[in-house]
Amino acid sequence: MKETSNKQERRRSLSLLLSIILIFSFFGAIIFSVSQKITRKMSASAIQNLSESLDLIESTIDAILRSQAEFQELIAQEIAQAEDPEDYIRSYDRNQTMAKMSLILSGKTEGVSNTGERFTEEGLDFSAGGTVIGLPVSQSYLNYMGTWSYTIKCPVERDGGVLGTLYIEYVYDAIDQSLPEGFYNQQALLYIMDAESQRFVLKPKGMGQRNAGHLNLTDFYRANNIQEPAIRSEVEDCLSTGRNALFYHDIRDIQALNYMWAVNNGTIFLVGYVPVEAIQQEGRTVTQNIAIVVASLLAAFFLCIALYYLNWRQQEKLRQEREAERKLHSQQLAQALQAAQIASESKTTFLSNMSHDIRTPMNAVLGFTTLLDKDADDPVKVRKYTQKIMASGQHLLSLINDVLDVSKIESGKVVLNLEKFALSDVVSSVDAIIQPMAKAKRQEFHLEVTGIRHEYLIGDETRINQILINLLSNAVKYTPEGGNIWFRMIGLKQRSNQYEHIRIEVEDDGYGMTPEYLETIFDAFTRAENSTTNKVQGTGLGMAITKSIVELMGGTIKVFSEVDRGSLFRVDLELRILERTADRQFWAQRDISRILLAGGAGESQENILALMQDTGVHLDAAENAEKALEQIQDARSFQLVLLDWESCGLQAVIRLREVLPNTTPIILLAEFDAEDLEEALKVSGTESLTKPFFVSALREKIEELRYTGDETPAPDTEESGDLKGMRFLAAEDNEINAEILTELLELEGAACEIAQNGQLAVERFQRSAPGEFDAILMDVQMPVMNGHEAARAIRALDREDAGSIPIIAMTANAFAEDEKAALDAGMDAHVPKPLNMDLLKKAIRQHSRRKEKG
Amino acid sequence: MNDMKRWISACLTALFILSLAGCGHEDPKNLIPEEKEKKPTVNLFSPMEKSDPNAENVARTALDLTVAMAEEAVGVTVAYRTYTAEDHKDKTYDDVALDRARSNMDDLYLLNPDTIQTLGAEGKLMDLSGLDNVKNLREVIRIANTVDGKLVAIPQEVVAYGLFVNVDLFKQYGLALPETPEELLECCRVFKENGIETPIGANRWWLETFVFAQAYADLYNGGNTQAEIASLNSGERKYSDYMRSGFEFLQTLISQGYIDAEKALVSEAIEGERPDFLAGKTPIVMAYWAAANTETAYGKTDFEMKVIGFPSSRGQMPVLSMTGLAVGANAENRENAARILDHMISDEALQLFSETNRVISPSKNVSLECPPSLTPLYDRIEDGVYVLATNAGMKVEQWGSTCLIVRELLNGASVEECMAAFDRLQDAALAHSGGAKAVFPE
Repeated sequence: MKETSNKQERRRSLSLLLSIILIFSFFGAIIFSVSQKITRKMSASAIQNLSESLDLIESTIDAILRSQAEFQELIAQEIAQAEDPEDYIRSYDRNQTMAKMSLILSGKTEGVSNTGERFTEEGLDFSAGGTVIGLPVSQSYLNYMGTWSYTIKCPVERDGGVLGTLYIEYVYDAIDQSLPEGFYNQQALLYIMDAESQRFVLKPKGMGQRNAGHLNLTDFYRANNIQEPAIRSEVEDCLSTGRNALFYHDIRDIQALNYMWAVNNGTIFLVGYVPVEAIQQEGRTVTQNIAIVVASLLAAFFLCIALYYLNWRQQEKLRQEREAERKLHSQQLAQALQAAQIASESKTTFLSNMSHDIRTPMNAVLGFTTLLDKDADDPVKVRKYTQKIMASGQHLLSLINDVLDVSKIESGKVVLNLEKFALSDVVSSVDAIIQPMAKAKRQEFHLEVTGIRHEYLIGDETRINQILINLLSNAVKYTPEGGNIWFRMIGLKQRSNQYEHIRIEVEDDGYGMTPEYLETIFDAFTRAENSTTNKVQGTGLGMAITKSIVELMGGTIKVFSEVDRGSLFRVDLELRILERTADRQFWAQRDISRILLAGGAGESQENILALMQDTGVHLDAAENAEKALEQIQDARSFQLVLLDWESCGLQAVIRLREVLPNTTPIILLAEFDAEDLEEALKVSGTESLTKPFFVSALREKIEELRYTGDETPAPDTEESGDLKGMRFLAAEDNEINAEILTELLELEGAACEIAQNGQLAVERFQRSAPGEFDAILMDVQMPVMNGHEAARAIRALDREDAGSIPIIAMTANAFAEDEKAALDAGMDAHVPKPLNMDLLKKAIRQHSRRKEKG
Repeated sequence: MNDMKRWISACLTALFILSLAGCGHEDPKNLIPEEKEKKPTVNLFSPMEKSDPNAENVARTALDLTVAMAEEAVGVTVAYRTYTAEDHKDKTYDDVALDRARSNMDDLYLLNPDTIQTLGAEGKLMDLSGLDNVKNLREVIRIANTVDGKLVAIPQEVVAYGLFVNVDLFKQYGLALPETPEELLECCRVFKENGIETPIGANRWWLETFVFAQAYADLYNGGNTQAEIASLNSGERKYSDYMRSGFEFLQTLISQGYIDAEKALVSEAIEGERPDFLAGKTPIVMAYWAAANTETAYGKTDFEMKVIGFPSSRGQMPVLSMTGLAVGANAENRENAARILDHMISDEALQLFSETNRVISPSKNVSLECPPSLTPLYDRIEDGVYVLATNAGMKVEQWGSTCLIVRELLNGASVEECMAAFDRLQDAALAHSGGAKAVFPE
């Protein structure tokens, strides 16, 4: 169908093109024929024009010659009547027309001239036979004035006899004065040529064209390259017969009309050329105007086509845009439909998964509860069952937490809580969580930190932990027993000096993933399904959450994986560097200016040097213990020695201790589960620091050392029975929850009174005697009056203890904003449900103590 | 779309305005256009050679450029009038120039030295010493063109003649460039002994330069020039006394076979001796300055070439000659012609002329970027060391006459016969107290 339409389109274009060519050919043919006609007409007109001009000049010269001859006849008559003809001659002055007048009396060969000297006919050539009104005219010659001239002779007759002959010399310059000046706008060239000698006797004046042949006809031919035999023979013929000749011949590449115009029956000729352009000036204007008209028409035509084309293109563009828009809409609709279908499928799958995932632990809870009921008397079994119920409950809780997290992220409710934190804390807390997990599966957990320049940063530590734990726990989960897990934290080149550019890599040599699964790994509600991983519990939401958080932090996450080879997750983050000006002071205040760094690979030493570079402390690195000893013996005073445990060992510690003063502590940098470390720590002044190295950890260690022997602050002791004797008012609408709470508190030796809603709780508290209750435990979602309102109402009561009694929110609304809302309502603490007694006790203890102090 | 509408409406408006403008034309009542003011004309009579239209004549182009400059400055049109002899039977350019100047046919003339001398002596040429730009001229120009105390012509270039030598050949035979006639003879001897058949390439025109260099080295460089010329003009001294040593020297060159007299007599300038000189067969030729700049002459050689002065008792001696521009004393447009000439010899015009033709300028303010080969000759001229081959102030015409007498020497005449010819010329000149032609007894 499409092909047929394309063919039709092509055919239409071709016929349009042919039509245009046809029109243009027709148009061109007309123009050509018109221009040919004009050219012919113009040529004829030019020839006629030039002929008329030359005729005019010829007539003028003829008239001059005739006048000269007639004048000479009159003079002859006068001489005939003069008494002394020779005397008459001598008395005549030279004038512009007449250069010389001479007379030879009959029978003599010598006569007189008006110039004074004797005169003979010698040098005058009348043999050519030229005449003017019957009087013989000589060939042209150069006269005594250095100018070209000719002589006419005339008989002087008296009484029927010939008295003598009158010779008058005329100069061509006289003719020159009668010739038109600026012949054809000074573009034409005009010579006068003596026909017999073919010499040019009158030449153009002025500048320009002086290279033209001006000597004679041959020179003229040579200079103007007129070499065609046909032309030359035709000209010769004309010269010999006294006819006019006119022919086209280019002069210096310009088309010109050349002429040989006979004057006085061919005794002299007008010779020269006129550029055709000079004759056809008006013709050129006409041609130019025609060209302008044609060009204008063509321009108008093309303009119309262009406008039409532009319009068409615009319409076409609009049409295409609409089409594209329509297509886009359809596509979007299709995508939306597909997305909806996928979402629906995903949700179905998810629900199915959830159903399975929830039912599994629930099955355990219910099953073990049944067993508990049956074996209630057997304390060993009861403990065993309750432990399993507890584990299943914990799993259910994490499942619900993940689901809620995803829903929050997807709805954009997650806000990063940017605070200062130390990378060392992140690493150590992650290490503390993952090491045991890995160990449990007999996996090797490798932790590497390289190239980090700043460890105090600003970011959401909790969320970063979440990312790391998600990735690492996945690695542990999806790696079989005995596998390896690598956790690398790499400092990349900073793009801005205000941000630390960190790459986090989590690699394992576990099950790996198929390419198909890799494509959907970051989608919510997906989970690698295969026989191997089915053993693994999980919501399938972890990676979606991780990716969302990374992106929220402006970072990127990539994954590389191969089935049975393992996976690599790479997260790149940029975290703002915390300016720590106090850092240098820390070291200065403790008089630490020089530290010896002994052992460890080059890279490890470089890391430590990089991290320590802002502290102002000078680090001396020694490759091994021997080198370190040498440095100490070189009497360098070190305030601290950092020793790589793995590469140096116990002997090195002992030897260093021997040479170092007791005041200089040795801190061993050791792996998490370093062997025989205890032995080393027995050496006095020796402490250990878990790898990887962080400045903050070192600082803490130094602080610890300072307090050694001093009174160390007593840690919070876990008192299990410190609720004993306390009395609580609890607002709880759910009877089961109320009962659990009551039972749990009673177990702790405390008493609890339940109010079914906020209103009742407020009223009860109002009625209570001061000090009757140690604290109020407040559920939030309750009928009649919710927890927030109740807390505000209590705080607003006109009682002495209304402002001070601890109110602790106890709610299933477990997010940060819920906690904030509770605190805003005047409550003191927030403990999420399901109830964790340790958390509750901690909160109660904290706020009761504060109250007591207050 | 709106843009296009705006554009179209702008076009239509422009078209409308143009149409209105086209309709607004009003015809004048008198259809003959007002005549342009006609510029006055000055006629320049100058030679015009038979030339190939495609090959520009360099010298004339330079003249034309300065004429155009003067026309622009003065507001006068210069019309050229020319004459070229068709063959030997025709009058020469000089003959026609004399006729025309005597008949006051033209205003401005380009004249050869002998014509300047003749017409100057006849009083047919205007005294140009009053022109503004005369003050810029070198002293040599005044000397060469002053007749009866009047500056009658001014050249646009000084033509310097010198010896063109093949330095490579001189070096090959361990010869220094000659300073004196004796040294040149020695060089020729060595060349001849080493198989160089004719050490000096000559033509029928320019051998006289040897004569001038020796004859007038002292006259022009001895510090008593005016007095010596005056005594020559008065007949107290004889030209033959000056000329003798040069002719004798030429005679020696001919008799020793250093110059091929027979060949020289039939050779035209440059054409005759050029092939042998370029081929390295002849180490020495003589020519004028511009030949060293022109590829068709000696502008491009395969060897190191230098142009030096002719040997003389005062060392290497450049020989100078010059044609001159003169104004007819009774010319119809003499005032305009003088103004034109004044502009044609301005420093600006002469700088242009000198740059175009790469020739020595008559103005002392116009310097020349001299090619290395010409430096020896140029340095001598700049130092004021030279002789004149033409001097209108001498009653006996020098350049043409000496050339003809040298030809007779080539033809076999003795030095004495040649000296006698000079004496006759001097006598004739004294008798007519004007210029005279060299007429050798048949």
